Amino acid sequence: MRPTTSRYPLIWRVLDGLEAAAARLWPRRFTRATPVLMLAPSLLLVLLLVIGLVELGDSSLRELDTSTFRLSATWTGANYLKIATSGLYWTVIWKSLFGALVVTALSLILAFPYAYMMVRTRSGLLRKLLLVALFLPFFIGQVVRAYGWLIILGNQGVVNDLLGLVGVAPVRLLYNYPAVLFGLVQYMLPFAVLMLAPALTAIPAELEAAAASLGANWVKTLTRVVLPLARPGLIGAGLVVLTLTLTDFAMPAILGGGSQDFIANAIYDQFFRTSDQGLGSALALVLVAIGSLLVGAVFTLFGAGTLAMGRQR
Amino acid sequence: MPDALAKRLIFGTLVLLVVIVLSLPTIVVLGASFTAGNIIAFPPEGFSLKWYEKIALAADLRNAFGRSLLVALVCTLIALPAGTLAGLAFAKYRLRFTTVLQTYLLLPFTVPLIGSGIALMLVFGQMRLLGQVWPVGLAACIINLPFMIWAVSSSALGLDPDLEWAAQSCGAPPVSTFLYVTLPAVMPGVISGGLLMFILALNEFLVSLLLTDARTVTLPVQIYNSIRSIITPDLAAVSVVFIAAAAFFVFVLDRLVGLDIFLKSK
Amino acid sequence: MTKSLPFAPLSRRHFLVGTAALGGLAAAGISTRVFAEEPAKPAEIIVRAWGGSWMDALKAGVSDPFTAATGIAVRHDLTEDNEIQPKLWAAIDQGRVPPIHVNWDTTTNATKSALKGYAVDLSDLSNLAGTLDTSKPVGLDGYPIVNTYGYVYVLAYRPSAFPDGAPTSLQVLLDPKFKGRIGLYNDGIGFHFPAQVAGGGKLEDIPANMQPAWDFITKVKAQAPLLGEDPDFTTWFQNGEIDLAVTISTNAREAKKNGIDIAWTVPEEGATYDTDGLWVPKGLPENELYWAKAYVNFALSKDAQQVWCDGLGLPGVVAGLTPPADLVGDPSYPTKPEDLAKLIRIAPQVQVEHESEWFGKFKEIMQG
Repeated sequence: MRPTTSRYPLIWRVLDGLEAAAARLWPRRFTRATPVLMLAPSLLLVLLLVIGLVELGDSSLRELDTSTFRLSATWTGANYLKIATSGLYWTVIWKSLFGALVVTALSLILAFPYAYMMVRTRSGLLRKLLLVALFLPFFIGQVVRAYGWLIILGNQGVVNDLLGLVGVAPVRLLYNYPAVLFGLVQYMLPFAVLMLAPALTAIPAELEAAAASLGANWVKTLTRVVLPLARPGLIGAGLVVLTLTLTDFAMPAILGGGSQDFIANAIYDQFFRTSDQGLGSALALVLVAIGSLLVGAVFTLFGAGTLAMGRQR
Repeated sequence: MPDALAKRLIFGTLVLLVVIVLSLPTIVVLGASFTAGNIIAFPPEGFSLKWYEKIALAADLRNAFGRSLLVALVCTLIALPAGTLAGLAFAKYRLRFTTVLQTYLLLPFTVPLIGSGIALMLVFGQMRLLGQVWPVGLAACIINLPFMIWAVSSSALGLDPDLEWAAQSCGAPPVSTFLYVTLPAVMPGVISGGLLMFILALNEFLVSLLLTDARTVTLPVQIYNSIRSIITPDLAAVSVVFIAAAAFFVFVLDRLVGLDIFLKSK
Repeated sequence: MTKSLPFAPLSRRHFLVGTAALGGLAAAGISTRVFAEEPAKPAEIIVRAWGGSWMDALKAGVSDPFTAATGIAVRHDLTEDNEIQPKLWAAIDQGRVPPIHVNWDTTTNATKSALKGYAVDLSDLSNLAGTLDTSKPVGLDGYPIVNTYGYVYVLAYRPSAFPDGAPTSLQVLLDPKFKGRIGLYNDGIGFHFPAQVAGGGKLEDIPANMQPAWDFITKVKAQAPLLGEDPDFTTWFQNGEIDLAVTISTNAREAKKNGIDIAWTVPEEGATYDTDGLWVPKGLPENELYWAKAYVNFALSKDAQQVWCDGLGLPGVVAGLTPPADLVGDPSYPTKPEDLAKLIRIAPQVQVEHESEWFGKFKEIMQG
């Protein structure tokens, strides 16, 4: 019946339609703005969060009156002053910052061999095993996972039972700063490996073979060839771990025994315990500022990491 | 070669350590869910399936799980196009104010989840969106978006600009070039990013806590809220069901596209 | 603050009592009105409750009989009391209908909403006539909250760690033997006031001079206490991490019912006594407000109180309730004036006004 069109597959006709629609909606002269158009949906999504942050900014400039539990009608810097002059918040900020740096370093050191082996191994079985071990922990929430650690590392836990066999008295392994950092490293490892793997995939195995054939031992190959080439992945993974650790709440709450608070715990306390949305908002914004400054500094010093990989060549 | 041996030994030890550390809590939770007692314990006290029976009979858990699936689906469907386009934009173009843009797009990670939760509660409240399930998916998408963007941009290595030029010089129009050249090249990143978004949304809890109510509560929130003076083993059982579902999902994925897709770049 | 409760399911007798409460609806003030005057019934009302057996107790004592009497289903929102607060406040601020109809809340927490003017006055509930003085919120006009029972922050201990008998004084917390083996709430709740006495201070000085309390808490900090919430205490006692904890009695009772070696006492310094209550947020549609108030009124009927508070193991606010058999004469279940004399009660208004300051002080000592 319609000999001219039916000879073309359906997909061609659909594509032709799409091309025409695209050309009409986005003419060629707009091409210079194409990257902006591509970024627009993500920028808008994050904008929703930013609008909320502006509201928090407004609350952060109002002081709570505990006889009416309302925030003051006029703006004041009282909340920020309280944070700046309180030893408690300095301690908590320092604990989170230092913790984030340590966790980032440890996560990268442990994630690197894991990602490397996953990418380089010739055994398909081993690769699958490593992938499965990586993905499964995502399915147990942080809370349940932390309780798992309580069972393993507790005074009567599995580890202390094993120590008992060799005659060591029970050791308090939990409820201290190292325990919190340990829990965080465990939580962050899968993220770090996932961010690192693509960067390692991009390094041709032939390069390493070449370095070896030129007489470099494996340590030299690693430090002079692999690590420099893996830098974008290391930066990407490092940034993810750094920011997520800095803002973490569950691990310090559960594994810290109540005396190892991070900033997010202090924010929780203000919003949910003392009902002081003003001080809570101020603390949240201070944390955002610290995090963003760190991220900006890393971008400026080390480049955009994984984000710019496509452009590198 | 003693040299290669040393390397294998050191890497092997570290990887084994990581595998153990990653898997231990899963194993403990798995074991604890079969306890016959009333308290989570490892090794479990006796063997019983009573906690599985309990969760199988709980209609509220089933409904909450259904809502969590919806949340994960909404999150993934929004994140796939938004994150893929943004990731490609960063990988393909030299943008002005890159540092500012990237720092802005990393806000979901630098804002603590409690802050994001309160902020989105206020915004969604003003837009009269609360009381529905899909906005929770939107929120989950916003707070995890950097993962999607980064997954795509880091797989953009597979994207050879010469290939795109070749396609265009042969007369391929923009949409066809995108669908047949650009998108397939970054597919591993799109899939792994999408999978991560789905999983994270399925497990999202802190922000959902502030965006749901009794009629729209999701599974992780329901679980958290049912932890009272005692952590009962039904929570472990729920986690195990999650893990089983995940394992099944990973198996299907492996059969369909092969797990190696996460590691492919070309 | 999280809550805990006896784990045992409610006995059949309780269930029957609860069902019998239906017959007493007239007393509950619901069907006394002419039906034509009743506002339209919503399909369901939402009551915030603590989960687990707490909810079971409320369901058996109040919610189920209420549904049977009115045909209105009751859905329970298990969001924590302190976590629903910002959600409620934001809803009322933004002119939205609040996400719950009735809030089962600590009196301290509820007082904040009352001071803010976000709670409906419940003075016109008919069943208030039959309640004890404790149902009235101290220092507030009318009844923005109705207190429904009291509870005690006892000193819980592991009997095997005390072969010579129960500890008698809070000074036991300073015994080097218990270093690292003490549990406290992570916001210090329930501990400030007995600590004031243990530190040599006077209760009359609260809130003007709490230095003795801070001094004592500083000494306790040197003992490296663990800070957490109810589920943590249970886990810690179960796993042998701690020997002593200042915690609400119901928590200890539930742990005991689950076979954990635990007992409790009121030390000579005294123990904090506090109440929980019910309140109704502003901003509900007229008809839903009516039925929300009817629910609170129903919860104050003697039959409902008997079943609900039995499930909780706590003394209710209606005269003539029968205590659970295992709690007769227990210091955590005060029934007589001399029992109450050993307990420390500080007005909620004083507590909320200084909460932020006390909390900050406690944190500063503990995070140091």
